Amino acid sequence: MNSLPGEAVFTITSLKKSFKDLIAVDNISFEVHKGEIFGLLGPNGAGKTTTINMICGLLPATGGTIEFQFCEKKEIRSFIGYCPQENIYFPKLTCLEQIVFMGNLYGIPANECRSRGLDLLEMLGLTNKLKVYARNLSGGMKRRLNIALALIHNPPILILDEPEAGLDPQSRVLVRNFIKSLSKEKTIILTSHNMDEVDRLADRVAIMDWGKIMLTDTPYNLKNSIGEGDVLEIEITEDTGGKTDSLISALRHEYNVIRSGNSLIIKAVHLIDKIHGITSSIKEAGLTIKEIKLRENTLEDVFIHLTGRMLRQ
Amino acid sequence: MKLLSIIVKSLKEQWRSFWILLLTLSMGPFFIFVYYLIIESSKPHYDVVIINNDRGYIIGSESVNKGEEYILFFTGKVKDTVDMPFSIKKAYSKPDALKALKNKKNDALVIIPEDFSKQIIEHRNADSTGPVEIQFYGDLTSVNYLLSALWANETLNSYLKKATGSSDLIRISETGIGTSSSISDFDMIVPGILIVSIIMLMFTASIAFVSEVENKTIIRLKLSRVTSFEFISGITVVQLIVGIISILLTLITAAMLGFEFRGSATVFILIASLTSLSIIAFSLIIAALTKTANEVLVVGNFPLALFMFFTGAAFPFRSEGFFTLFGYPVSLQGLMSPTHAISALNKILIMQMKLRDIIPEIISLIILTIIYFLVGMILFRRNHMKLK
Repeated sequence: MNSLPGEAVFTITSLKKSFKDLIAVDNISFEVHKGEIFGLLGPNGAGKTTTINMICGLLPATGGTIEFQFCEKKEIRSFIGYCPQENIYFPKLTCLEQIVFMGNLYGIPANECRSRGLDLLEMLGLTNKLKVYARNLSGGMKRRLNIALALIHNPPILILDEPEAGLDPQSRVLVRNFIKSLSKEKTIILTSHNMDEVDRLADRVAIMDWGKIMLTDTPYNLKNSIGEGDVLEIEITEDTGGKTDSLISALRHEYNVIRSGNSLIIKAVHLIDKIHGITSSIKEAGLTIKEIKLRENTLEDVFIHLTGRMLRQ
Repeated sequence: MKLLSIIVKSLKEQWRSFWILLLTLSMGPFFIFVYYLIIESSKPHYDVVIINNDRGYIIGSESVNKGEEYILFFTGKVKDTVDMPFSIKKAYSKPDALKALKNKKNDALVIIPEDFSKQIIEHRNADSTGPVEIQFYGDLTSVNYLLSALWANETLNSYLKKATGSSDLIRISETGIGTSSSISDFDMIVPGILIVSIIMLMFTASIAFVSEVENKTIIRLKLSRVTSFEFISGITVVQLIVGIISILLTLITAAMLGFEFRGSATVFILIASLTSLSIIAFSLIIAALTKTANEVLVVGNFPLALFMFFTGAAFPFRSEGFFTLFGYPVSLQGLMSPTHAISALNKILIMQMKLRDIIPEIISLIILTIIYFLVGMILFRRNHMKLK
């Protein structure tokens, strides 16, 4: 790969894909930079997998372009490692056999395939399953094998479609750390419904819905700019003199405030920086704070704010 | 490198698909065995039961029993005649013998009377008191009875002439053919069944192709930029090996049951290889039209039935050609490659012809194999490997 650090690895411009009357991907544009983990979020049927299939070269685009900076488009399949949403493996081959087989298909010599395969299987916690047929593995192991299969040819770009789907918490941590470790040398694109996973892993996130990209930014920026923001819940001592009502009126000039019994629920972006001012106002109003809870704005809040609550496919 | 990897992988998968492999490899030997049993059990055989009531006759100090002598004469005659499908049994109870006759356990019952020896000896001494009565029992509408009675009667007459010292007015010379000829009915069906063993390859080959689609591993192959040609060639090589093993196992089974291999082994392998390739190519068409192994097992039955019953594989099938091309008949059945393979094997194994005599069959097999492969490859690429 000849691209400079941070340089765009590929640029998507006005990409479209339609299946007869259905527009699956509608005029999307974004670029992915070298060494970043790029998260593609969206509800079911948003067009994520279709977009990924077009990037991998498995699906021709109806319109638009995908420009790769470091290779010809016809070579792209060798430069991409793809771990599809569904576990795809050769059921009658052992873990090591299929890793070596796939490596051979990418033109890697057998010895190199074997040693690289052994390393990958070890990193993904499958060393003791080398000679086990893939069909006999547990769901989590199959998922990890799938990731190993995507990496056998050491591709500079790794595309992971729901990499943590079906994994138990231990495997999730292992896979997450593994992906993090890969990001030092690879560009990674991942899709997921698990917002926590994307928040922890992704450097940048694109949120897709109805085939369109709605926003692209870092998780931090998204959380701090989209939605109702952080939620601060303050429980105060019982008020008999109407001090609380006066306080709420004062706070409402700046914040969205709701009263629930003896609690005040305050919603705003960047509340962490404003807690001191709020608590001072409460004390100045002659009220005593019993308990304070602060919940940060999450990526899920941002996602729901942008895509709504309507159920999809 | 890629091709070799696909061959090795396909070989492992084929070996691990043990039951379907066993089904394919065992069908040829199984059919050979079944046909052998059918032919053996349908061979003509005649059971004659004789009750000897003859009390014998004393000449001087010596007792003779002409009834026993006749039975020995009849038995000896049967033994002396090559491939004579008769068996002579003795019985002692008329009701039991009649019961066995009614139950088709025997074909004819002959009862020798008490004064059989006496009458023969008196006839020889020219003081006979009348003809001796031999009783024949049997189903008059049964061909088996008629043949059994005819032979019993013939041998009886021969014996009586010998026993009474009568001279022959005429002499009949008889030469047997049919069952005494060098090629048996079993030999005749072997070429067809050898091709059946290759036709069964249709299932393993189709499943080998379609399993990549069913498991979605075709996506991995597409990502690795394996070409359709490499993928299809890899599987074809393995299936060709299975086909050759299958026909050899069938041939060995046939040989163990009495089939005599007469033709050239090289030409035989050539025909077997071409036929295997044509069946693999046809399997590619089936795989292109299906998505799962279950669908293959359902859809594959239609061409299987056509290939087995309308090409002469399972039983001899004659069809008039629409026209002849360089003396070779062109018919609708000719669209199915086994038709030509069976014709070629019949010429080589039965008629002991040479390679030059089966050139039309070889050319037909090659042309059909190419057509099947082209159609299969186009359909498979369009339905399973093309970007959509």
